Amino acid sequence: MPALHRRLLLGATAALIGLSAMPAGAQTGPAKGEPIYLGVSGPLTGPNAQYGAQWKQGFDLALDEINGAGGIKGRPLAYIFEDSQSDPRQSVAVAQKFVADKRIVAELGDFSSPASMAASPIYQRAKLVQFGFTNSHPDFTKGGDYMWSNSVSQADEQPLSAAFAVKRLGMKRIAVLHLNTDWGRTSKDIFVKAAKEDGAEIVATEGYMPDEKDFRSTIVRIRDAKPDGLMLISYYSDAALIARQLQQAGVKLPTVAASSVYSPKLLELGGDAVEGIFTASRYFPEDPRPQVRDFITRFKKKYAKEPDAFNAYAYDTMVLMAQVMRESGTDRKAIHDGLLKVKDVPSVIFGKATFDPNTRRVSGAMSVDLVVKNGRFTVYEGGPVVH
Amino acid sequence: MSSWFDYTLNGIIIGNIYALLAVGLALIFGVARLINFAHGSVYVVGAYAGFVAVTQFGTPLPLTILIAVAVGALLGLVIERFGLRPLQGYAHIAPLLATIGISFVLDQIMQLTFSPDPRALPSELLQQRFQVGSGTIGALDLLIAAIGLASAGLLYAFLRYTKLGWAVRATAQDRDAAQQMGVNVDAINRTVFAIASGLGALSGLLVGMYYNYIDPAMSFQATLKGVVAQVVGGVGNVPGAIAGSLLLGLVESYGIALFGTSYRNLFAFVLLVAVLVLKPNGLFASRRQTPPEPMTGTFIAPSKPIHIPYRILVALALVAALLPAVLPDPYVLQTLTNAWLYGLAGLSLTLIAGTVGLISLGHAALLAIGGYASALLSINLGVPIGLSILSAGLIAAAIGTLLVFPSFRLRGHYLSIATLAIGEIVSLVILNWESLTRGPIGISGIPPLSIFGIELDTDRSIYWFTLATLVVLAALQFRLLGSHLGRVLRAVRDDDIAARSYGIGLNRYKALAFAVGSFAAGISGGITSHLYSYINHETFNSQLSILALTIVILGGMGNVAGAILGSVLLVGLPEVFRIAAEYRVLIYGLVLLLLIRFRPQGLLGTV
Amino acid sequence: MSRLSSASLLEVRGLTRRFGGLTAVAGIDLDLAEGEFVSIIGPNGAGKTTLFNLMTGLDDPDAGTVRFRGDDITRLPPERLAALGIARTFQHGRVFANLSVMDNVLVGAHVRFRTVRPTWPFPFSLLSPLAELALALIRPRSVAAEEKRMREEALKILSRFGERLLPRLDHPAYSLSYANRRRVEIGRALALGPRLLMLDEPTAGMNQTETAEMQGLIGDLKRSGLSILLIEHKLDMVMQLSDRVVVMDEGSVIANGKPNDVRNDPAVIEAYLGHRRSDAAEASPMPQEAVE
Repeated sequence: MPALHRRLLLGATAALIGLSAMPAGAQTGPAKGEPIYLGVSGPLTGPNAQYGAQWKQGFDLALDEINGAGGIKGRPLAYIFEDSQSDPRQSVAVAQKFVADKRIVAELGDFSSPASMAASPIYQRAKLVQFGFTNSHPDFTKGGDYMWSNSVSQADEQPLSAAFAVKRLGMKRIAVLHLNTDWGRTSKDIFVKAAKEDGAEIVATEGYMPDEKDFRSTIVRIRDAKPDGLMLISYYSDAALIARQLQQAGVKLPTVAASSVYSPKLLELGGDAVEGIFTASRYFPEDPRPQVRDFITRFKKKYAKEPDAFNAYAYDTMVLMAQVMRESGTDRKAIHDGLLKVKDVPSVIFGKATFDPNTRRVSGAMSVDLVVKNGRFTVYEGGPVVH
Repeated sequence: MSSWFDYTLNGIIIGNIYALLAVGLALIFGVARLINFAHGSVYVVGAYAGFVAVTQFGTPLPLTILIAVAVGALLGLVIERFGLRPLQGYAHIAPLLATIGISFVLDQIMQLTFSPDPRALPSELLQQRFQVGSGTIGALDLLIAAIGLASAGLLYAFLRYTKLGWAVRATAQDRDAAQQMGVNVDAINRTVFAIASGLGALSGLLVGMYYNYIDPAMSFQATLKGVVAQVVGGVGNVPGAIAGSLLLGLVESYGIALFGTSYRNLFAFVLLVAVLVLKPNGLFASRRQTPPEPMTGTFIAPSKPIHIPYRILVALALVAALLPAVLPDPYVLQTLTNAWLYGLAGLSLTLIAGTVGLISLGHAALLAIGGYASALLSINLGVPIGLSILSAGLIAAAIGTLLVFPSFRLRGHYLSIATLAIGEIVSLVILNWESLTRGPIGISGIPPLSIFGIELDTDRSIYWFTLATLVVLAALQFRLLGSHLGRVLRAVRDDDIAARSYGIGLNRYKALAFAVGSFAAGISGGITSHLYSYINHETFNSQLSILALTIVILGGMGNVAGAILGSVLLVGLPEVFRIAAEYRVLIYGLVLLLLIRFRPQGLLGTV
Repeated sequence: MSRLSSASLLEVRGLTRRFGGLTAVAGIDLDLAEGEFVSIIGPNGAGKTTLFNLMTGLDDPDAGTVRFRGDDITRLPPERLAALGIARTFQHGRVFANLSVMDNVLVGAHVRFRTVRPTWPFPFSLLSPLAELALALIRPRSVAAEEKRMREEALKILSRFGERLLPRLDHPAYSLSYANRRRVEIGRALALGPRLLMLDEPTAGMNQTETAEMQGLIGDLKRSGLSILLIEHKLDMVMQLSDRVVVMDEGSVIANGKPNDVRNDPAVIEAYLGHRRSDAAEASPMPQEAVE
């Protein structure tokens, strides 16, 4: 029935490592023999089903590459995807299934924080790495030393958004509209703190429910707070709705949106109302980095569409796991230790990814400031818009 | 004060949208005495019909409207013919549950066909806007209002001046009498479903165009808001539904103005519960009506329960206890552990909904209260885990009973809607009471299960612990049912008026049953929180409430063994049918429908 | 509050109930002495059942008072009236469909369960449900003995109906024949140990043999000294059983007296003739509401 949240966590399009990132010596022809398996726990049905499908595309693209280039020391890499509907009651059963399956060397997922974190005690007890690559919840990796994530931390992203809004665009009185979920709430808290440190005043914060469609009265409240700029901590679907209703209410405010809105869907749903919205992304189609260009080209060739955030996240993760296994081995313990050791894995999200051994997260995500112009995301070259 | 003008205007605009939904629901209730939980699904189908017409065939607006209405009306006919008419003469709960099953099936079909991704639903002419106050009104706002009023006007004329309309009204007032007077009640039902579903589809289309946004998941919210609006206005009362919708829109808008956006739905549901408790016939009921509910025990399907001898139950419990020794597969143990935890929720609901007849649609709230209670007691106050779980049961019993107590005077569907609303209120309070619950961020680092300081850190020990809890509580429930309370509670369910006439104070015994049931639910939630180590306001969501109800119906209302069997099946079968992946929910909805149709008393029968 | 010195058990004064523009019960006065058998007759729609409902707390009067053993019981809820010893049956029969015959009768005895339902003064009364729960679960010997005693009594009551119900003690009430359901209802009422028994058309839908059997039973109850108010359409039965007959029409009492006096009262004949047609249609039982 009701939607679990469509948690377009950091819709930031993630990056990928291009082929060029592979060690040239690994080009030894297709992998053969008994595959090495990763377990994936994620939604294939239910309200979040679309994200599981996007993961698969990213994984498969990466696996084509990895296995085409000799796999893991000659053995192919593969994954077993179990549908959890992103429901904690099912993700714990899936966790037990993976834990008991001796072929599984590490687990990827789940999608939402409640589903992932409910399963964490099981993975921790069994000492099987749970790699929650979309779990930005600040407590996810605190579940134990087998919980790892390369999801972009809000502690990284939101200060960048604040700097964009305050320092670059010159906003001084900011109103914040945020999704009232664990992600939205965490992001808002960090953004507010950073924006204040940058010298701006926060004149209003409004949290809304994920299935909210009507923002008219919220907009009146925002307008009455007399902000000179608006921050949206939203997914693309809500951001489009909000932008349209701002336009209808005749409220014209410079607007920065979290990188989660970076999706062609924002343009489709928002139409001319999203024109002029500022956002950030980990990469963008005109990105000059060769690995980004390569990823987009190959993705389009395989799936006949533009890659989005989750495609890239999944891709990045699979490449990272392959690298860890090549360096440190393919048993459960080796992967845990390998994640500690691995350094500078080429990544489009992070440029180069290295884990902080204390937080078991990666910091230093790439960021580029964008603006919607003529119905396209383009790099923002300008200066302050609020004077 | 121009802002207040804006809030008022916004309230009316959104109320206008609710009205389109509420009118259809009111019509159906008026004739079929049924709260149609599939109405939101029809709304979604209407939106997608319009989407296909516009994007594939480039239809102009009037034609698009016609197509959506026609598709909706047709769907209404199908729902009436195949979903509801076969249930005539069944217990009153059957059609209500059938509409829930139909909504599952329809939503799932839409999701499989169109993907869960949102789509844009563009409309060509309707971007024009007029300045009013400091905001604007769009042409589409006016069109929605016009269609709302026009459909109400047409309905009024139809009901008032046509022969069919007379028949509809006669049927609404007294179905049996109308039938005796030669009114073809089936034809009336068909007509009403077609009209109401056509309207529902139209509202989906217009709302989709209004927001330039449609997705299959918007069905539940639409049903919820429509139901709230029409209950506030008075069920089955078309002008009341419109007035109730406007009032709901205004209350939400002023609620946002005064307290902020995150309190919006809280106001809607508090309004609903207040109206239900204070004026169950709705604020705009024109006259005092007797509640349109069965006067005698027709809400639960009567049946002869399958009697399972005591010895066999003991033997089954022993087999379950020995299982980890024979089959130490952690996946099987985990699945069964889940089933035992659901079994606790099932025990709880089978007592409340089955034995005493309070069909609760907000049962997850009790698990949530238990989960938060045990988590917070152990984290904040250092209460030992076993004690914290026990306290969670008691706290859930106390809070749950207090919250529902004012609603005990409601019957049948009304009580179900009140519990649905109370469930949502609990979830929204958890979301907003940040100093206690950490709001949306949730509670992490909940200590693992332990009893008497011994940590239960193996799959087996957790399995045994949950099984033992289930067995103890099930045994207690058997004992309760075997006492004088068992027959008293069932008497309240079967005929509350006769029960009162024999000295049974309804509130006392409903509260007693609710407290005992909530205790088991609170225990289930408490254990769950320690197993998961992390919970937030979504962990115990309304899907869980529906699942718990399905468990109870599958097993047989009031049937203790049935609740446990139901939970083993409903937790186990989806695991067995993992292969069916995308179609699992669809199959689940169909099974629910078939069960209601062919075995309404459940597998083991009503006790 | 003055205790009446007379043997008046029930005293109704000016009882009135209006539904919209219709006055269903218009200022009724009614008395019943201890041990008396009074029948209320009248055409369909005369307000007989509404009167019963007002007297048993299922409906609230717009005006008037009801006194029982001298105490004002107007507007008391039905559960309080049951505790005072007023038992009633229902026009269309309201057995507990999923309960067994035995359980139906035991529910009738609910107010007489004293051990398992401790009554404490306020504020301890708030805890009494918990005590009841604890006693039901622990079942100390006294509670078990009470249950056993009540079951024996119930069995005795059911044996009044001969072999009609005894072989069906465990059958759920919905599975019984129409006549047997009416018998269960009367058994349930007797289990309350009533001071006043109010029977609303106890033989509706019964054939002649069954009616005669029921009439015999009600006659026995009368002879045992029980005070009885009866609503009935079968005039033969009324005439044979009643000490006094009250005739109602359109909400008012139009005659009140010995059976034979009433039988010959022109107003009564007029009322019955005037309504003959609707009465005939109504004579058939309407059991649908009571069961599935």
